[in-house]
Amino acid sequence: MSSDQDHLKETDTEARFEFKKEENAAFETEKGLTEETVRVISEDKDEPEWMLERRLRALEQFQQMPMPEGWPGAPDLSEVDIEDIVPYIRPDIETRGGAESWEDLPEEIQDTFDKLGIPEAEKNALSGVGAQYESEIVYQNMQERWEEKGVIFCDMDKAVQEHEDLVKDHFMTKCVPPSDNKFAALHGAVWSGGSFVYIPEDTTVEMPVQAYFRMNSEGMGQFEHTLIIAEENSEVHYIEGCSAPKYSAFNLHSGGVEVFVGENAHVQYSTVQNWSKNTYNLNTKRAICEADGTMEWVSGSMGSKATMLYPSTVLKGPGATDNHITIAMAGEGQDIDTGAKVYHNAPETKSTIESKSIAKDGGRTNYRGLVHIADGAEDSSTSVECDALMFDNDSTSDTMPYMEIQESKVDVAHEATVGKIGDEDVFYLQSRGLDDDDAKQMIVAGFIEPITEELPIEYAVELNRLIELEMEGSLG
Amino acid sequence: MSTQVHADLTESQVEQISSDLDEPEWLLETRKEALSALDDLEMPDVIQTPGRKWTNLDALDYESLVDPLDYAQDKDRIDAEGVDVLSWSEALSEHGDLIEDHFGSVVDPQRDYLTALSTALFSAGTVVYVPEGVDAEDVKIRTTMNSQSLFNYTLVVAEESASVTILERQENGDTVEGNQYYSGVVEASVGENAYVQYGTLQNLSQGTYNYQVKRGHADTYGTLDWIDGNIGSRLTKSNVETRLLGDSSESQIVGAFFGHDDQHFDIASRVWHEAEHTVADLVTRGVLDDEARSVYEGVQDVGKEAWDTSSYQRENTLMLSDESEADASPKLIINNHDTEASHSATVGQVDEEDMFYMTSRGVHPEAAKNMLVEGFFVPVLDEVEVDELRDDLDQLIYERLRE
Repeated sequence: MSSDQDHLKETDTEARFEFKKEENAAFETEKGLTEETVRVISEDKDEPEWMLERRLRALEQFQQMPMPEGWPGAPDLSEVDIEDIVPYIRPDIETRGGAESWEDLPEEIQDTFDKLGIPEAEKNALSGVGAQYESEIVYQNMQERWEEKGVIFCDMDKAVQEHEDLVKDHFMTKCVPPSDNKFAALHGAVWSGGSFVYIPEDTTVEMPVQAYFRMNSEGMGQFEHTLIIAEENSEVHYIEGCSAPKYSAFNLHSGGVEVFVGENAHVQYSTVQNWSKNTYNLNTKRAICEADGTMEWVSGSMGSKATMLYPSTVLKGPGATDNHITIAMAGEGQDIDTGAKVYHNAPETKSTIESKSIAKDGGRTNYRGLVHIADGAEDSSTSVECDALMFDNDSTSDTMPYMEIQESKVDVAHEATVGKIGDEDVFYLQSRGLDDDDAKQMIVAGFIEPITEELPIEYAVELNRLIELEMEGSLG
Repeated sequence: MSTQVHADLTESQVEQISSDLDEPEWLLETRKEALSALDDLEMPDVIQTPGRKWTNLDALDYESLVDPLDYAQDKDRIDAEGVDVLSWSEALSEHGDLIEDHFGSVVDPQRDYLTALSTALFSAGTVVYVPEGVDAEDVKIRTTMNSQSLFNYTLVVAEESASVTILERQENGDTVEGNQYYSGVVEASVGENAYVQYGTLQNLSQGTYNYQVKRGHADTYGTLDWIDGNIGSRLTKSNVETRLLGDSSESQIVGAFFGHDDQHFDIASRVWHEAEHTVADLVTRGVLDDEARSVYEGVQDVGKEAWDTSSYQRENTLMLSDESEADASPKLIINNHDTEASHSATVGQVDEEDMFYMTSRGVHPEAAKNMLVEGFFVPVLDEVEVDELRDDLDQLIYERLRE
């Protein structure tokens, strides 16, 4: 990791690094997340005063808010001890980039990357071994290509410094305020890293903007913030390919994603996530969509011990559209509680939600969605489709949609089906010479096709490979 | 937690009710236990989404609604051959052991605050006993409420290979000042290979708050069908539930509601598949006008041992007015993979193309809309086996449309 070391020297981070170590020792005796922790983070990042104030206000809200408990069938979060959250941040500050080298990664993860057929350089990036330095090159390349048109794509910490007005106006104000939920508040207090994307008016970014790696590059990477602003008539496809299995000892990921879709703009946000099996993934993602704008969420949720993630869209202007395509897969010991939320707050708004889930080896998947159609959102329509596939009898699959309809001139439809993998389908394929494993994998591939066809080819391949890996040896 | 009622409730009132019904000691004890449990019990669960409770039961003023010793009702019971349809005092003297065996075995007397209140205070009600092998139709129970509050308790026991259809109607009679409170508990035990269809037509006054729990257990090859028709009341919280405990047992829950003015219906249909080869079908259709509001929850819970389950659910709501609100949450909870399950829910208004089709054929728009709304209920009405229930429900829908 010589490049990493060089970088640290270049930016004088090492000195600050030492400083932080001291600070850590200083508040080691403190229990839970304190004001001091937040001040240290902010100071370290050399943030403007307003950001520190926002962090502190978020901290206050975090301390006052209850855990998301008492939801029917909600994942067990009893292990997520708020008092322990800070200690989890601390080692991250100390080690910066996480593991020192590829060899330090757990074998299981190295193995996964090998099986995925990912080249060495990319492996380093994906696993978080490669630190900020490499990632900045990724960003830099992007910028060169698009900066002439005024497109901004950079690290979130950097955006606070260099694009202060835009960030100040949009950062956790209108879209995901810290008061949204306890983990959004936590995120607001200790967030670090992430992507900032700005697309000016009348600009189309033809190729997907990819943030392939960010997780461990910046200190507490598990609280990364993504802010996307797409102005009027612009178009962008952002892909968060930080699907690396997280190897770290930290067991809480609480990111925040805010997307502003301007009038007649089009934003697609795609993500394939594959957290390590000891991670609690408690994320908040939301988009606000102006008149005639289109927001599209495409997500694959793999990995994690428990996930609670409900990407949501507020359809604010007339004619706004929101599409969700999601796939969740839960294996042994996993509880993937996910779904989509849509608020129809204007006339002639449309949403479609297509959710697929696969449960196997005792895993649990749950679709928990909310469609709200406000009074006055006439001629709005929504259609929700949930399909669940179950492999065995140790697994659980639930569907809990909520629909709040306050307007009569609407068209609302929800449909869900659950079934086991069809014996007849398996038999059919077997009779054509496929073995049992291949037959089942083919059925699963067909089942998730609506998702994969929305992803650029490399991500689709990755998603398919991840699912194949998950299924390997568990069939037959 | 509401303690308004409890402040006014005494053990002696409960003893008074119990002695009026000539009850045995065990039942009085059950009542007293329910009464003393009130302090610790919560209101029934209602659906909540962040920042919002879909039905606010805590806001009810039970103090002004409940008057334990003032109970008055007319009860009209029509039995069928071979079936015992009895008042509680008759039933307790004729079938004491049977009642002791079944009472509280299906509905936990302390399931929540309002159910415990019902257990402690029920003074009206009926026991329907269908002995082994008896095949009967058209048992009718009409309850007319003539007091501030009325606590009604119905116990249905259908023995092996018995069959019965029951219609229960709930209405108000004498005018009572202020708001009223009706609480109904129905417990049904469906024996092996037995069949029960239990239909309710609730047409209480719009000053009446209404809480109902209807719950049944179905044994092997048993079938329990519920019809839950809700037209009246100011606020209704209705729970219709079946546990399919025996292999190859079946249940159908059919719901129909029509709300107008500022009526609030909180309707829940729930089925638990706990044995092999069980089948459930949940069908609810509702119409909302004016400022009426419906809250629907449907739960299909497939247990780990419920191999080869088939479970279906459909809920459709028509909204006739912009001020109305329809909330729905159909839930699937699947723990066995050998399951075929689906649910669907739709909300919309009278189809414009249908309207156009009819008006273009000379039907007046108002008449066309009424016909379409009546037609909307047909799939639900078709499932009703008791003619009187079907005809009356149809008539009430007809009248409401022309109000």
